[in-house]
Amino acid sequence: MKKTGALLAAAALILSLGACQKDAVSNLSTEESRIYITDHDSTVNFSSYKTYSISDSVAVIDGNQSTKQLDEADAAYITAVKKYMDGMGYTQVTKNDNPDLGVDVSHIIKTSTGLISYPDYWGYYDYYYDPYYWGYGGYDYYVPYAYDVYTVREGALSIDLLDLKNAASTNKIKLVWTGVIRGEGIFNTSTADSQVKALFDQSPYLKTND
Amino acid sequence: MKQFRIIIGAALLLVIGSTAASAQSGQLKLDLNYNYSLPLGSFKSDLINQGSGRGFSGSLQYGINNKWAAGLGVGFQDYYQKYPRAVYQLDKTQSVSAVLTNSIQVTPIMAKGTFMPMGGKGAVQPYISVGAGASLVDFKQYLGEFTSNSKTSASFVAQGGVGVNIPFGRLSASGIKIGADYNYVPYKNFGYNNLSSVNFHAGVFFPLR
Repeated sequence: MKKTGALLAAAALILSLGACQKDAVSNLSTEESRIYITDHDSTVNFSSYKTYSISDSVAVIDGNQSTKQLDEADAAYITAVKKYMDGMGYTQVTKNDNPDLGVDVSHIIKTSTGLISYPDYWGYYDYYYDPYYWGYGGYDYYVPYAYDVYTVREGALSIDLLDLKNAASTNKIKLVWTGVIRGEGIFNTSTADSQVKALFDQSPYLKTND
Repeated sequence: MKQFRIIIGAALLLVIGSTAASAQSGQLKLDLNYNYSLPLGSFKSDLINQGSGRGFSGSLQYGINNKWAAGLGVGFQDYYQKYPRAVYQLDKTQSVSAVLTNSIQVTPIMAKGTFMPMGGKGAVQPYISVGAGASLVDFKQYLGEFTSNSKTSASFVAQGGVGVNIPFGRLSASGIKIGADYNYVPYKNFGYNNLSSVNFHAGVFFPLR
């Protein structure tokens, strides 16, 4: 009977030691949970662009509703984007000074399906961003590349570079670069700079000649 | 997968509980072991470069004679690896910066045979074993907190092992088992081609009535 008890204890110990499983997601810190995705039009030579203008607020996309806002975190993102655009050699101008690139920053809460799907996001782009804002009312946006379809039930932040330099000659506003941040704790003033830095660091082809 | 492990564990405990280890010369023997696994080859270089102490194995074998036994072997091993943040090229124009995590659970179920050259005699009884069967593989790869690759599939597994049985006493049919197994698992998914490993194990063996 003693031996049976000892064997039972040994078996229980073996199972308790060996049957556990490490959960991948719960072992991530907030920083580690985030991913930074970039995509661009490979036919574009970014050194052909010299100037940019950035929208003065962030588009908040919630379902099929879109509003503009500028809270502390939004301002931190816009400041960071300016910093790293300048770092890439671009010069900021007003939108009335014929910028080569337009920069939009979007805070996506959810799309109309309740999930974030980037093809959906681009499908509604002219709804979120009236081309009139950039001085090209009536033009269509054109996306020459496509991300893998990611769908999640949480927020994301997207930064888009638009080719305004060639809009008039092509009758469309082409997206030439997109950076997307996803994961936990995105909308945070203190980490906005480092998150934007990650997007620009992995896109060295954005560098233009001063 | 978790339910499956609980069922295996509960079944083994029930069997143990229902049979006193009476050290009789029973022909049906059960062993239950704690496993520490070291990935090998491209499993180590591409997926998991750390050892895993989260595993167990067991077998139920019938003594054909005093040197040979054959039966069924099962096991479970959890592998986990988190790589530091890096930039991965997803296609020609798309990049992602992420902490990449691999989470792999392997559950082999095998036909198994054991040869004991000393015929079950002696204070330390060496053995060699072979096994072959199927391994249920639950593979998940994460970029940050997002699943990028996920698949549950079955793969062939072949196993060769060596070790020793150390009976509790001169006439005891129960004892401690210590050994190592080489597991060949030719896993073919997501561009990976093997989940082979060496598993070191320590546990107990005992006869069933």
